[in-house]
Amino acid sequence: MTPDPLDALRLPIVPVEPRPEFADDLLRRIGMARAGRAAGPAARPAATVRYFVDDLDTAISFYCQQLGFREDLRSPGAFAMLHQGSLRLLLSVPGAAGAGRALPDGTVPAPGGWNRIALQVSDLAATVAALRDAGARFRDDMVTGVGVRQIVLLDPSGNLVELFEPAAGYRDRPAGPRTQGGTP
Amino acid sequence: MSTVSVRYIVNNVDEAIAFYCGHLGFAEQMHPDPAFAMLTRGDLRLVLVAPVPPGHPGGGSRPMPDGTKQQPGGWNRFMLEVPDLAGTVDALRRDGVRFRNDIVTGVGVRQILINDPSGNPVELFEPVRPEARLAGR
Repeated sequence: MTPDPLDALRLPIVPVEPRPEFADDLLRRIGMARAGRAAGPAARPAATVRYFVDDLDTAISFYCQQLGFREDLRSPGAFAMLHQGSLRLLLSVPGAAGAGRALPDGTVPAPGGWNRIALQVSDLAATVAALRDAGARFRDDMVTGVGVRQIVLLDPSGNLVELFEPAAGYRDRPAGPRTQGGTP
Repeated sequence: MSTVSVRYIVNNVDEAIAFYCGHLGFAEQMHPDPAFAMLTRGDLRLVLVAPVPPGHPGGGSRPMPDGTKQQPGGWNRFMLEVPDLAGTVDALRRDGVRFRNDIVTGVGVRQILINDPSGNPVELFEPVRPEARLAGR
């Protein structure tokens, strides 16, 4: 049978994104794409961190479902961009294209290490209990330091995420010309 | 606007302060203990800690309950946006800053990895697509 020449003009069927927050995300991404145009402080994450993860989908589920991140984009098997507040979190898969590529000497990036993001929570004990109920693993127990209580959470690839709750004496941003005020 | 906190483990906090403030535009906010300092750069708060023994008041760099000591290194890192990556890299190399690789061009950015004095990575990037850009500052 002769192919219908009009097929070339027909649009592919695009699956409808079912997430209710899709419209919000779309608006935010349009705002981000407008270079130099202010789209509101919350619309433009201001600090970026890259984590290496073994399995992209598992990591996205973990950060979005357990820690309140939102997914901005995903390149299956290689890369994802999430955000939570002012933090933009990039997830890269070792060996995949882009930042996962081996160094010139052949060394391949890997998850793990001790450097980590630290997320502030208002009630650490309750957060930890909820995460434990959800099956999350922790690297240590709650520790009380100077100004904060904290604990180190493990993501599915073994990366660390620190959760902290300010205690008496905690200073969010010390007084000075750079102080912006407000509590994260 | 909220602040993003990142903790880096370093071998020597004074040396790290000099590096991050001297080469990468951070400002020291507090350094109340030899094993602890807090720096800021824009919305990024960088907490630098040296490993401390179990009884130390600072909670962020004590050994784990199983005795494992925290140490610098790894691949996870924060990223800093620069407008001219090649120019920045040239200037940093002249200052003696060490890099793990050469400039790599990815999908949305050109990027390179710095090693701090303790061997922690810091990624510098220059957007080549608008959506890779951070809020202007």
